[in-house]
Amino acid sequence: LLSRATPRIPRRSGHLTSPETALEKARTRLHVAAVPDSLPCREKEFEDIYSFVESKVLDKTGGCMYISGVPGTGKTATVREVIRALQQASDSGHLAKFTFIEVNGMQLTEPRQAYVRILKELTGQKATANHACELLDKMFCSPKGPRRDTIVLLVDELDLLWTHKQDVMYNIFDWPSKTRAQLVVLAVANTMDLPERIMMKRVSSRLGLTRMTFHPYNFRQLEQIVLSRMTGLKIFDSDAVQLAARKVAAVSGDARRVLDICRRATEIAEANTSSKLVHITHVDAALKEMFSSSKILAIQNLSTQEQLFMRAIVAEFQHSGLEEAEFSKLYTQHLTLCRFEGVPPPSASELNAICWRLASSRLLLVEEGRLDLQMRVRLNVSSSDVMCALKEE
Amino acid sequence: MASAESSGSASSRYMGNDEDLMTEIHKKILCRDRQIRMLLSFFGERKHKTPSSIFIYGHTATGKTYIITTLMHILQLPNVFSNCIECSSSRYLFEHILNSLPAGAANGENNDKRISCDNMNDFVRLLKLEVGRRQLLDETIYIVLDKAERMREMEFNIIPAFLRLQELTGLNICTVMLSEIVWEKFRVGTGFCEPFPLHIPDYTQDELARIMMLDCPGGWSTETYGNYVSLFLSVFYQICRDLRELRHMALLNFPKYTEPIKKGEATEKDSRKLWRNIEPHLKKALQTVYLREVSSAQWEKMQNMSNEENEARKSHIDVCSTRSYLELPFYPKYLLIAAYIASYNPVISDRRFFSKKASRISKRSKLIKKHERASNHLLGPKPFPLDRLLAIFYSIVEDKISPSAIIFSQISSLVSLQLLGQMCADGQIDAVRYKCLVSLDMIRSVARTVGFDIMKYLYDFV
Repeated sequence: LLSRATPRIPRRSGHLTSPETALEKARTRLHVAAVPDSLPCREKEFEDIYSFVESKVLDKTGGCMYISGVPGTGKTATVREVIRALQQASDSGHLAKFTFIEVNGMQLTEPRQAYVRILKELTGQKATANHACELLDKMFCSPKGPRRDTIVLLVDELDLLWTHKQDVMYNIFDWPSKTRAQLVVLAVANTMDLPERIMMKRVSSRLGLTRMTFHPYNFRQLEQIVLSRMTGLKIFDSDAVQLAARKVAAVSGDARRVLDICRRATEIAEANTSSKLVHITHVDAALKEMFSSSKILAIQNLSTQEQLFMRAIVAEFQHSGLEEAEFSKLYTQHLTLCRFEGVPPPSASELNAICWRLASSRLLLVEEGRLDLQMRVRLNVSSSDVMCALKEE
Repeated sequence: MASAESSGSASSRYMGNDEDLMTEIHKKILCRDRQIRMLLSFFGERKHKTPSSIFIYGHTATGKTYIITTLMHILQLPNVFSNCIECSSSRYLFEHILNSLPAGAANGENNDKRISCDNMNDFVRLLKLEVGRRQLLDETIYIVLDKAERMREMEFNIIPAFLRLQELTGLNICTVMLSEIVWEKFRVGTGFCEPFPLHIPDYTQDELARIMMLDCPGGWSTETYGNYVSLFLSVFYQICRDLRELRHMALLNFPKYTEPIKKGEATEKDSRKLWRNIEPHLKKALQTVYLREVSSAQWEKMQNMSNEENEARKSHIDVCSTRSYLELPFYPKYLLIAAYIASYNPVISDRRFFSKKASRISKRSKLIKKHERASNHLLGPKPFPLDRLLAIFYSIVEDKISPSAIIFSQISSLVSLQLLGQMCADGQIDAVRYKCLVSLDMIRSVARTVGFDIMKYLYDFV
């Protein structure tokens, strides 16, 4: 039993089977990792980035571009697609050769490790961060040296490269301005006003004004994304996809979210019914699973005393008009409630245990236990949610 | 082979089956039958699983540590005892536990390499290895953590991890935590595997008497000592239930009790006479020795000098806490007096005390003041700025003195002597506020040495 209580990822029993039924095929295509060859609904952005990089490569100059947009709008995928297209062009001889390097701020243990990463990608050489910085500086800034290909640098998760002195950002945006560097930097981040918010003036001015914003997908685009992955397969009811797309577009416009929901809907359809088609009801079930809050369900499944305590908290908040109460006040409130209900009242330490159980499931926010009766308690759900959950019985 | 056999026999013999072992336990540990039974039923047999963690709590000197160590010793259970005050950081704790794991049943070679470990992850891995190496796999290992409340000051993951060490290592480990505070005060963060709580109650008066009977000094019958102990407890039980302190005190005062018997003035049966002899002595001991103002050696020496004049001098002996005599230079004395006045007088009363043209106090204001009599002294000292201190200082010192560097350095040295308290951060020289930290008795004795009547200047006592 103890071993079952310890959470761990279940072992895979055998080999992964290749998809056979239409639903399984659909599921592999709907996987977020299965990026299609051409991204639908991002043609204009593709064009812009393509022409920007192409012109820089042709002119043998450098430059910066800042790309922003909320998560799941296809920023990184579009950039990668541009690079793929450019590489094809250079392979076929239409374009000069260039080198592509990718640095992800999230994959670095520390911002200055970016230098090490770039140097390793460029020359295969390993060095400490300081030394790598010097070497790169020399490579990009020194007037003499062999002519090189253009380097295209994709910096993903730019906001994580922020340091107090901002030297990493400064260098990355400063090198393209050197005449000999031939460096094209594509910086990708989530927030649109990142250069204005966190960067110093001299850094944001070097980043320049070539900016591009990826807007969140609207429901038509999301629908198109799903349908483009489903070409040749008749799996989804058209209403079903539209429902998923509309719901997601209303909240975030995240393409990954809509793909996840569709995948989950195929699973539900497979498990529940033997139908080959995913109906709107399946999508609705998947949406409920992903969007609904579990807190009300959690409150409804609490024990009697725990539910009483939640009610005591709400009563105390209404009584005092504050959104915070000391444990001692809640205890007296709880005792009165117990008397009304005719339930045997718990001792203070039992109620403390109840309080901590609720706090560890994050229904409450409490201070540390050594404060005892002076410990202040807040609700982590709205009090109307609590009342709503407890009234339904 | 021999050791393996002995451990095998030990495994079969407890769980309360072996009469000898049980009598041995009960002989060693008095008045704790319920708790022992409970612990033994937790422990079960050696290869049985125990609860993952047991939390034992009770007051000072109720035998928490003693019960556990004695049980471990008598039953010869593999255990590690660690004191969380000594193991002040988690690293010390881990290394102590790993390095003092007991040797297993049939441990052949014994390479004494010191294991070092600095995080929980390594600890769990090394513990598994080490337990396997010492061949303790089929026994319950007990990790006793004394003064467990100190673990709250270590990293956040220490307590939760020790509570579920059995689960994390997959070994048969039981963590026993000993503490004086209740489990509620340990809770922090996002939930624990709750330990099994076991409360050790205080000893009653009868139980205390039973235990204290054990250290009857040689040469005296247990009956005599028993009478003495019950007399002793009737005086001391009201203020102290700490067994350790009581035993110490009882032994210290016993020679005084037996004095009339030695002299031949009374017999051992003559309890009334003995009581009359010891009672005032014990009452006095209540005041002085319990607070450790006189060291016990000093106390014994005083008892040996039994003639009357020494008896009279006993209460006048120079004990440390009443040492209200302080050697200070002339001006610091005035500075201290000024600080005391500034701390305990309200600002509005300064004009009345120190201005040349002070108005007399009207009858009505006297009446109002009667209500709040001594309230300033009950509430404690209040902070005052430096210029108020200096103003009061110049008005109470008769002769003219210049505000030289010496005066200011004397103020700061009063702070470093902890006679004054500084109320603000060190950086700001211009906004410092002070508090006077000396008692009324002490300031009166200081004022007496300079011939200054401080009572006339204190708002509460005018």
